[in-house]
Amino acid sequence: MNVMGIIFANDATLGALTDKRTMASLPYGGRYRLVDFHLSNMAAAGVRHVGIITRQNYQSLMNHIGSGEEWGLELEQGGLEFLTPYAMSATDSYHGKLEAIHEAMDFLEYGGDDEYVITSDSAIISNIDLQDVLASHIASGKDVTVVTKAGIANGQKQLDLALKLDDKGQIQDVAVDYIAPAGYLASMDIFVMSKAYLRNTVREFISRNLFHMDRDLILGQWQKNAITLNVYQFSGTALYNESLTEYFHNSFALIDPDVRHDLFGGYHPVFTKVRDRVPSYYGECCSIENSIVADGCVLEGEVENSVLFRQVTICKNAKVKSCVIMNDTVVGEGAQLEYVILDKDVVVHPGAKLCGTPHHPLVIKRGEIV
Amino acid sequence: MYFQKKRCIAMLLAGGQGSRLKVLTEKTAKPAVPFGGKYRIIDFPLSNCVNSGIDTVGILTQYQPLELNEYIGNGQPWGLNKTHSCAQVLPPYERHDKKSGWYKGTANAIYQNIDFIDRYNPDYVVILSGDHIYKMDYAAMVAYHEANKASCTIAVRTVPLKEASRFGILNTNPDNSIYEFEEKPKNPKSTNASMGIYVFNWEVLRNALIADEDDETSSNDFGKNIIPTLLAQGHKMLAYNFDGYWKDVGTIDSLWEANMDLLGQKPAFDIRSDERTKISARNNALPSSYVDGNAKTVNCFIAEGSEIFGTVTHSIISIGCTVGAGAVVEDSVVMPGVTIEPGAIVRHAIIGENSRIGANAVVGGAFGPKDKKKISVTSKGAVVESNTVLLPGDML
Repeated sequence: MNVMGIIFANDATLGALTDKRTMASLPYGGRYRLVDFHLSNMAAAGVRHVGIITRQNYQSLMNHIGSGEEWGLELEQGGLEFLTPYAMSATDSYHGKLEAIHEAMDFLEYGGDDEYVITSDSAIISNIDLQDVLASHIASGKDVTVVTKAGIANGQKQLDLALKLDDKGQIQDVAVDYIAPAGYLASMDIFVMSKAYLRNTVREFISRNLFHMDRDLILGQWQKNAITLNVYQFSGTALYNESLTEYFHNSFALIDPDVRHDLFGGYHPVFTKVRDRVPSYYGECCSIENSIVADGCVLEGEVENSVLFRQVTICKNAKVKSCVIMNDTVVGEGAQLEYVILDKDVVVHPGAKLCGTPHHPLVIKRGEIV
Repeated sequence: MYFQKKRCIAMLLAGGQGSRLKVLTEKTAKPAVPFGGKYRIIDFPLSNCVNSGIDTVGILTQYQPLELNEYIGNGQPWGLNKTHSCAQVLPPYERHDKKSGWYKGTANAIYQNIDFIDRYNPDYVVILSGDHIYKMDYAAMVAYHEANKASCTIAVRTVPLKEASRFGILNTNPDNSIYEFEEKPKNPKSTNASMGIYVFNWEVLRNALIADEDDETSSNDFGKNIIPTLLAQGHKMLAYNFDGYWKDVGTIDSLWEANMDLLGQKPAFDIRSDERTKISARNNALPSSYVDGNAKTVNCFIAEGSEIFGTVTHSIISIGCTVGAGAVVEDSVVMPGVTIEPGAIVRHAIIGENSRIGANAVVGGAFGPKDKKKISVTSKGAVVESNTVLLPGDML
């Protein structure tokens, strides 16, 4: 099918963890970054032309994605394109997604025969069959397809875009930035529309100072009865990483075999940059329980309910509980950690004690020595 | 097409069957046999080449090449797919002059690919074998060869005198020049065993290969023919001492031992440290491993994509394996994609790729340090049915 993809790398919203990262390059699950899920979804659906819109702090993202080889997106025609501020017509930051797309209009022109566009944000990850979403879009004959997930709205979490359907499946309500009660469907920030529709919309809207996909296009037009929406309900696992607490909880969600198998063993494999480390070594006295462990680790201490990224070292008698520990970090002998997120290249000195809470994990920044 | 001249290229002999690995090489060439959790044997010489600055490698394949060819692909995992580098798989082929067909011996395999080597017009050719586990800097060996103006340099390692009669033994003068080569001598005069790693001046080797091909009595083998002939012709031949870890993994026992040598706080063969001599492998898109709350993992390697619910002690668990609840794996090598179902017991075994060990099955058994090793082996895709037994030393 003729379809191109746009991924919004998104500015970071997770404090210290995303100081120097986009949401797209946030590490997850021991060996991934959030963008891996989106690139893998698109590549698996046969999308051969993907643009990544990013405006700042994108160095780590470019470093991670490179030529797109790992996702099969290093292609003679199409392939992967970084739409950085300098590659776009304006160097300033954008106000909303429509404006960002407007600045990257050349990319939309370029796709040639690609008839449809799938756009996706970075923070919400899933293993979704986008071919099925596209087929649903085409069959519906509607202007825009919104991919949604039931069960996320809970009366506490603010949703970017929430929709409520009536018994007949007709849209009853649309709301943006809304603390939706249970029963609403949460947008997964994935949209499908025809390229012509997106191009025309962007041109018309930007000329009228309307920049926002959710607020101006979906909500605004729906209220005016000027848009037809196809609501696609995704039944698999969708993890919303929109706050530090959510990200922290979602990290441990992988300990649940259903979540793990759904996310990695579902519709297609999830590809990431190859680091090619040795298998992890579990030492003579280590005790590892309910944990996710990437490759290249050396484990001599105790680890419980945690996620260990590549090349992490846990020294003897160290006790690690409910922690997320990123690449190349070393936890010294006898150190005790609970509810802590250690970013990359952190060194925890022997005997140090660090403690957060389940809802407010302590974050140690990249490269720090504790 | 333009081929950049190379100072040195490598030719990797990967065509052997490895019949002493029995069921493990029924459907796979020995160099493609899995090793160390995520590697295959050929990753070691290939990575050594790259780490030694050799960017052009011809790989001679013959026996069951499908999996091996697929694995090597375009050489991308080792960085051998660039504009002026290559990992070229060289199977036997047909030529107009009938001097072709199956590779008759190691020397004949190189002979049949003289054209490939000539394209790079190399000064030196390194001949390697695809069935050894070791890390070695070939660049240092080539530099030694060049500095001493030798025609041929052979890597040697010291073996115990009582084992020397199992090897090709090189008798040398104090300056390391070789005056005699003895293949598996009854009464060895020295303990310098050939490691099957050779550096040749290409011109010398090229002439020797052509002459050897014309000799109908020759078995076209490096050890039996080329080396003795060059020695008899008075070429300067040197021994190059190597004292690092090296293991010929040609037998079930040695393959098992070499895997076990990776384990421990201070392993006999350390592949965990030293980024500069990293061994690369083709990677699969597998998630991180999961270790369950009831799992016990002691002194073991666990590779990506594995899920551990049982007890794993002193073992290698390769990529994409599952060890079920209550299952026990001890002193074993579990190759990629294996499922060990709940309650199964695996001891002193090599479990072949994608095998399934049924629930409560028992594979292999314990033996003391002085007992004769009895490694149980399952072939690729084998199934040990639930509640059945595979005796120590048995193969399936």
